[in-house]
Amino acid sequence: MMRALAMAFVLALSAFPGAATAQFDLNFNRLIDTGKNLRDALKDVDEKQEAEIGREYAALLVGAAPLLANADVQRYVNRVGRWVSLHTERPDLSWQFGVLDSNNINAFATPGGYVLITKGLLERLKNEAELAGVLAHETAHVVKKHHLNAMKKGKGVEAGANVVSMYLEQQGQRSAAAKEKLVGGMKEIMLRGLDKDDEFEADRMGVVIAARAGYDPFGLPSVLQMLQSLNPKDSELSLMFATHPDPGSRLDALDRAVGSRLDRLASQPQAAERYAHAMQGK
Amino acid sequence: MRIFLAALVFSLGVGPAIAQETGFAVRQTEVKKEPFSDAETVGTLAEKSQLKVLGRQGGWAQIESGAVAGWVRMLSIRMNSGQSSIVSGLKSLFSVARTGSSGTTVTTGVRGLDKEQIQNAKPNPEELKKLASFAATKTDAERLATENPQLKNQKIEYLPQR
Repeated sequence: MMRALAMAFVLALSAFPGAATAQFDLNFNRLIDTGKNLRDALKDVDEKQEAEIGREYAALLVGAAPLLANADVQRYVNRVGRWVSLHTERPDLSWQFGVLDSNNINAFATPGGYVLITKGLLERLKNEAELAGVLAHETAHVVKKHHLNAMKKGKGVEAGANVVSMYLEQQGQRSAAAKEKLVGGMKEIMLRGLDKDDEFEADRMGVVIAARAGYDPFGLPSVLQMLQSLNPKDSELSLMFATHPDPGSRLDALDRAVGSRLDRLASQPQAAERYAHAMQGK
Repeated sequence: MRIFLAALVFSLGVGPAIAQETGFAVRQTEVKKEPFSDAETVGTLAEKSQLKVLGRQGGWAQIESGAVAGWVRMLSIRMNSGQSSIVSGLKSLFSVARTGSSGTTVTTGVRGLDKEQIQNAKPNPEELKKLASFAATKTDAERLATENPQLKNQKIEYLPQR
């Protein structure tokens, strides 16, 4: 937004040195209009459009880092993820899960039900309940459409305007330029992350979704404690730490929300052996 | 030998990377003899007490702090940062476990999830097709839940924001 404004200002000055103020107002008003259209457009994103955006987003993620070449591990993560997703409010989305061949420690969701976890994170999990907790956190982003929220809130205008322009193209064949803009908007969200409150919400929902699926609900908090024990300066963590609240504040927030509410479910299985077995690629 | 070692580590149930070694109490915390809220209290940790984490069971962490040993609610402790190295020593795990020879997709630093790499990333529709081929049906998922250990559906409301 600031960048666009500054650009508009520079353009205005250079093109019409004598009428800078008038030109500036004009461009500014157009930007405001873009923001308005954006809000309206995103309100009406239907499931099909959401899936389309999600597909583009997921193509970009697997373009950034390839899939781990281990079909057994990929299928295992899909079974766990699909089971978890059945315990959300959107059980019938065409959920797809995958493992990215990257030592980075992270997990991603896209609109429409794509969820990707890195090999680096998978290697550091101790059991299936932890995996379920991570995947449940990601499914919560999908259920609550947090990406659309991030686009709306002008993390912002640039990312959202790109989507809007895509829709405008949608009548006929979508143009390469519109697609490129959409990809640019997605990269912006990947690098800047979702709204911090949405991350806290996904944590609160994640422990419950995993518990609904029959797992020990403390898998996700356990992963957060593991993350907290790492060195935050390690490069494998830089993207996750740049896009999420720090693990300590996430644990603080869960601590306040959980209290003793999940005590009766704490003896649900962690499935450590099944996890270890699956990770051997058998 | 390496495969065997990796398998051994896993079969012992030891986490592949992180021993969650040391942490501290975020507030004054009762230490219980067993991992239950109505178990006998064997001591009390002052806020910021340093402790060793020995294990976890459900929402409880088994700890040792000075002369006190027992169980505390896991969410009443935080871990000390920077005590565990990212380098796990088991990085080769997936490469040795890889099945088939298709797509040795070594990234060699070109692709990846660092900032610059994301900025340079291009969508890969072919890889996306591969992703779709791994998808699980509802039936696949439900079958997982009937295996050992079984996973039983629970009805639980979401947690309120606090």
